[in-house]
Amino acid sequence: MNRKKGDTESVDLNDVEVDSVTKRFGETVAVDNVSMNVARGEIFGLLGPNGAGKSTLIKMLCGLMSPTSGTIKIGGYGIQDDPVKVKELLGVVPQDIVLYNYLNARENLAFFGRLYGLSGSKLKNRIDELLKFTQLDEKAVKRRISTYSGGMKRRVNIAAALLHEPQVILLDEPTAGLDPKNKLALWEIIQNLHEEGKTILLTTHMMDEAEELCNRVAIMDRGKIIALDAPHQLIKKVKMENTITVVPDRITPKLTEAVNKISGVKRSYRAFDENEGVESLKIITEMAEDILPEVVSAVSSAGTKILSVELSRVTLEDVFILLTGRSLREEEERYL
Amino acid sequence: MKTKRTIHQVLAIAKTDFLGIARNRTAIFFTLLFPLFFLIIIGFTFGTQGAGETSRIRVGVVNLDREETIVNGTVSQNSTIGDAFVQALRNANFTVYEYMEYGDKETNGTAAYDISRRKIKIAVSIPANFTESLSFRYVDSSGRPIPTKAHLILYTDPSDPTGSLIAQQSILGFISGFISHYQEVVISQIPETFQKYVKVLVDPITVSTNEADVSGRRLRWIDYMVPGTLGLVLLWSGLNHASVAIANERTRGTFQRIVIAPVSPATVLAGKFLSCLAIVYLSSAIMLGSGILFFQVNLYWNLPAIVLSIFLGALSAIGIGLIISSLAKNVEAANAITVLISVPLQFFIGAFFPLSVMPRPAQIFGEALPFTKLVNAIQGIMTKNLPFEAVMPEIIYLTVSGLILFALGIIAYWSSLKRL
Repeated sequence: MNRKKGDTESVDLNDVEVDSVTKRFGETVAVDNVSMNVARGEIFGLLGPNGAGKSTLIKMLCGLMSPTSGTIKIGGYGIQDDPVKVKELLGVVPQDIVLYNYLNARENLAFFGRLYGLSGSKLKNRIDELLKFTQLDEKAVKRRISTYSGGMKRRVNIAAALLHEPQVILLDEPTAGLDPKNKLALWEIIQNLHEEGKTILLTTHMMDEAEELCNRVAIMDRGKIIALDAPHQLIKKVKMENTITVVPDRITPKLTEAVNKISGVKRSYRAFDENEGVESLKIITEMAEDILPEVVSAVSSAGTKILSVELSRVTLEDVFILLTGRSLREEEERYL
Repeated sequence: MKTKRTIHQVLAIAKTDFLGIARNRTAIFFTLLFPLFFLIIIGFTFGTQGAGETSRIRVGVVNLDREETIVNGTVSQNSTIGDAFVQALRNANFTVYEYMEYGDKETNGTAAYDISRRKIKIAVSIPANFTESLSFRYVDSSGRPIPTKAHLILYTDPSDPTGSLIAQQSILGFISGFISHYQEVVISQIPETFQKYVKVLVDPITVSTNEADVSGRRLRWIDYMVPGTLGLVLLWSGLNHASVAIANERTRGTFQRIVIAPVSPATVLAGKFLSCLAIVYLSSAIMLGSGILFFQVNLYWNLPAIVLSIFLGALSAIGIGLIISSLAKNVEAANAITVLISVPLQFFIGAFFPLSVMPRPAQIFGEALPFTKLVNAIQGIMTKNLPFEAVMPEIIYLTVSGLILFALGIIAYWSSLKRL
């Protein structure tokens, strides 16, 4: 059941069900009565600053840790009641490269495949499929993992979690530390998995990643989920001002007057970028995308020409800062 | 189906673990070849020479007999017997260095200096009147010989009590032989009818030494040493590898990944145990094979008894290794703890030095170690061809200690699962 990004209404089957889960370490409550569902075929993002409880929740989802209270079901099976079935349904991609450096890619995949009960030609065929899927060439797979680039290692790291064709894939910071080219390649792999109908739950520090990939995101802070929705819905819910930056050939009083008359414009002001040596008109509004055409026609009617126009809209990062009081980029830097 | 899957998982874990050693040169050296390194160095140094060999004993001789001395009020200079003594030492195959004086440890070229630098193990000082005393040159006013004993002085190296003791015993044995020869010469000069009585009087007891037939074969030291080094194998291959088996996986993060798969902790443990056991047997085979190849050891090959003894010894080594591996925070800590334990222990298991030369508390400690029991059992089986029943006390000890230590290892491993 493939679903389009943002389409969460027609959910009839949840692959991940977290119901009132709490995890305590002595007096500390790491995860506090969290409930959430991830629908089959959905890409679900889990965001949160360090110490928010993400890692503890992930460990409980993997079966590495038991909840103090509450239940977790994967594919309809209780993680406590039927751990073997849950492990067979779950593919986990850890945030670190967890492979044997002294083995080559094929040997690593064969090892993890055997742990999941694969053997013989079935295992060999599955490894071939995954090597193709992760775009690793035949020459490279014969070399030891220790000789691979970060991006190649990351791809084998993902392939190792897919050997047993899991329905639910858990990716912990899948693109952390990757350059833009490798990041895009991994996004493509994740999107391909999504197209295959896999249910994907990922944690990330990268807002562009969450916005680009996820159908829905949950923001965790201090052990609780403080927001859960599609990224664009979350942005919509947050009433924040946007800025339209117009660079015309000249800024005249007539132009300023025309812009300020547009319905929805709160105010405008002239700004000079010393680095670029360019003067621009900044227009403050809550509905930037809606009034952009009117701004463009106002500039033309004032007898000026537009050299460039830029729309600074509210991002998921802004939502995150608003909700948690911390920047995700700060978290990312701390993480790196 | 489930059993087949579990077997595949155990074999996969064991193979991957084994490849971790096989593809890492440092690990190969420390896990498989380090005991071999010891065997070759020590074996070539001592092993092939035989216990009665004296050429490796370096003796310093200060022959003052060549100097002048006063005899009966006149100057005498005769070194006939002193020179014969030195030549006899050489003939007896000692490595002899001659000095003009005993001296002191600060003066280069003296015997004391060379003892302090360990060039010689023992020094013999021959007095200036050595020949004069032994040839009855001292006479009274009536011309009758005055019985005068010649006095040799031995100097030993206190910094090496064992080496000095061996050198001292060898020199005393040589002197005893030299005295017998001297007596023969002197006695031959008295009337023949008295000779046999005098011979009995001066040497009333004769001793002959024969090696007990404990083996059925003529054995050299190396023949005892090679089986003894299997104790080192347990320390260096078994304990060493087991101690990093889990810690390595935890540090790498692969342990979590294995546990996330549908693999029970018992399966992981079985895989690790199998790999450790394979490494112990491989290392044992290398040691025994090298013994045959380099030293042509002459041993008995009761393979079932050897394999069983090694297995029981491996239980203890892997048990201790598991405890270290499970409790250590990371692989570096596990390595440090292992070195701290295995390096001192190797001197207490009787592989290099017999426990009998050690102080009593060290002997008690050494005897309590399961690895010492393995060395005793294996030496009994391989050098003396003892039947299995004869080494049963050692086997029982190995079994009990192995089960206890391995059980403790499993408990530590299980408790470590909570720290994932």
